[in-house]
Amino acid sequence: MNEKQDFIEHAKDGKILAHKCVNCEDLSLATVYFCKKCGLRGFDDFVLKGQGKVETYTIMTVPPSGFEKYAPYAWVVISIDSSDLRISGFLPNIQNPEDLPIGTALKVVDFDKRGIVLEKS
Amino acid sequence: MDKVCVLGAGSTKYGKLDDSISDITLQASVGAIESAGIESKDIKAGYISNVFGVADKQVHLGPVVMSNLGISDRPSLSIESACGSGSVSFREAYANVAAGFYDVVLVTGVEKVTHTGTEWTTTYFSYCSDFFYEGMAGASFPGLFASMARAYIHEFKATEEDFAQVAVKNHDNGLLNPKAHLRKKISVDDVMNSAVVASPLKLYDCCPFSDGASAVILCNEKFAKDHGSNYIEVLGSGRGGSPAALQGREHLTTIPSTKIAAKAAYKMAGITPSDIDFAEVHDCFTIAEVVDSEDLGFFEKGKGIEAVREGKTKLNSEISINPSGGLKSKGHPIGATGVGQVVEVFDQLTGKAGERTVKNAKIGLTQNFGATGASCAVHIFQSV
Repeated sequence: MNEKQDFIEHAKDGKILAHKCVNCEDLSLATVYFCKKCGLRGFDDFVLKGQGKVETYTIMTVPPSGFEKYAPYAWVVISIDSSDLRISGFLPNIQNPEDLPIGTALKVVDFDKRGIVLEKS
Repeated sequence: MDKVCVLGAGSTKYGKLDDSISDITLQASVGAIESAGIESKDIKAGYISNVFGVADKQVHLGPVVMSNLGISDRPSLSIESACGSGSVSFREAYANVAAGFYDVVLVTGVEKVTHTGTEWTTTYFSYCSDFFYEGMAGASFPGLFASMARAYIHEFKATEEDFAQVAVKNHDNGLLNPKAHLRKKISVDDVMNSAVVASPLKLYDCCPFSDGASAVILCNEKFAKDHGSNYIEVLGSGRGGSPAALQGREHLTTIPSTKIAAKAAYKMAGITPSDIDFAEVHDCFTIAEVVDSEDLGFFEKGKGIEAVREGKTKLNSEISINPSGGLKSKGHPIGATGVGQVVEVFDQLTGKAGERTVKNAKIGLTQNFGATGASCAVHIFQSV
């Protein structure tokens, strides 16, 4: 079993795969194996639109290896619309904080070797 | 549980060191043994923390240390817990002495990475994050803490200049510490004009990559009374965890593991945050010290930045935070840092801190975490 692979396939399709606990209905990203609220293991798939708002971010100018050609770029935490979940991902072509006010609407467009890839919606 | 004491402490200088990882580990260990006034054969077990031994061709450091101390038959534990390795190791040693398994143990932390360069360290350190969501998507550690800083600025109306004051203060303290890595007075303008690493954090908001090793001897109270004049007592020990990725946390400007660990440590010690005279906290980035000072209960949420502005955390002010210079100026050899904090508390409470002495200090606290605070340990010490 590989919970991550399912999550990745959905992200490639612009969606976020979540799990809803069959016991308490708590929602978590599909990459967890036990419910963080009630501790039970038993989920129904719950697919969210990969859309959300910027909660915080950084603009990376000293990147880890493999990211040199993208710098500067943003690494962003977004809150996913219609849920209390967040995800983080890679957002190319961001130079200055003025380019990305907190609250900006973003969407998931892919998952590749840069993890979750985001775009302005 | 037996009462546990710190009987001796030793440390190399932090900075760019030429000797090998095993050499500096031994230098610090021998320093602690000499400081304690014991023989190596008194040590019943070793706890050796390190993260990137692979960079200097030596992992599984425990048996190497024990062998070179002439006690190869004694058990050792080689521990990795990212930047919190030292304090987590200290906690395991503490628990084993408190439980009565051993009367005397050695706790040594070490890191040797400066020869690898910035790209290697930035990349490999990012493996300490929740890689699937963070490192893989291009976040470095400066980037992760920069994201916390931006959230803090947004929520509490802090400025980048406010954070710069944390760096200025810790450099002032580090100037008084002969073993500190960056012994250089800096100004707010210096911080603001330094190169942006991951906005809003600039180079001078970041601690350096350092080499270094620190060690302490822990023992039960009976052994301390029989063997040492200068020892301090462990009053409280707490540990906690947080969601590994920032995205999983209820608040982006609070580190849950610190709050959980601190609550446990205060409870065990039977004291409150206002009883703490000084604290060595995990200031890997300027934002971290502000968040720590709130999570440890020294200031209310969102007020830590005001405390910095008002100079309440300077040496010999309301609460002396990072009298050693902290990770920012003293340096951050990641596997050693948590042990190095205990060395500072030992030096402070036994009259060995020289010009940076916190006046009339009786109780000191250490807080050290791994990654963005995914794991954390808090310890409280008292002079005897």
